[in-house]
Amino acid sequence: MTTTMPPLVAYQILAAILFTIGVVGVLVRRSALIIFMSIELMLNAVNLSFVAFSRQHGSMDGHIFVFFVMAVAAAEVAIGLAILVAIFRNKETANVDDVHLLKG
Amino acid sequence: MIESILFAFFALTAILCALGVVFHKNPVHCALLLVGVLLALSGLFILLNAQFIAALQVIVYAGAIMVLFLFVLMLLNFRQDPSVLTPGAAKGFGFVFAVLVLVELLWTALTPNGGEGGGLQTVSALPADFGSPAAIGRILYTTWLYPFEITSILLLVAVIGAVVLAKRKFA
Repeated sequence: MTTTMPPLVAYQILAAILFTIGVVGVLVRRSALIIFMSIELMLNAVNLSFVAFSRQHGSMDGHIFVFFVMAVAAAEVAIGLAILVAIFRNKETANVDDVHLLKG
Repeated sequence: MIESILFAFFALTAILCALGVVFHKNPVHCALLLVGVLLALSGLFILLNAQFIAALQVIVYAGAIMVLFLFVLMLLNFRQDPSVLTPGAAKGFGFVFAVLVLVELLWTALTPNGGEGGGLQTVSALPADFGSPAAIGRILYTTWLYPFEITSILLLVAVIGAVVLAKRKFA
């Protein structure tokens, strides 16, 4: 079983690529909703990394971390989307470049 | 062998769907492609003997969180932006910084771990119930009991916050 399995480094490279795609999404997209989705992408890349290390060490603590990451992600999405709805109500846009209420 | 083929399939699906999430014009398609990424990752979790996490991934992420996204998409009725990417120099900087992040992450992943006798090169033997709900539940309610209870407070705060934010009219 252990010899045929893809090595840990393959999972690490995949996680790095997915994380980078998420970073690109946050940096180059202007729609707040897509930025949220890119953040989910990054969280998932980290989750993959956690689970791969967990498998490697034979310890389930990584699974517990993924569990907590999912709980935090659920809370973050609920609050974030509520903020998004509130912004959309006031400004009729979800473009982050058009939201500059704090700029003097 | 079969594991490697499955890994390649899921990895390729995840990367292609992720690129679609970032570069597709229509936000609804982006959300559906994100579901593709989440399902591919759940397949990878099963390859890594994490059955419980794989099930959570499908139920919580692909189920609950993505429904929330699609709900907001439906409520707000986003028009399709003609220019999906940020204009000007910011876009170039974004790609440059992303490439730097990728190089750094790959460098970290590919560096051998300091000659510690190959601690990460050998795969540890797994207990029979590795990754099962029972085994995870056991350590979740013993070793990680306090973080688990604090998580419930976090979710309560999130529920209250979401309701307050959605109700209030800002001036």
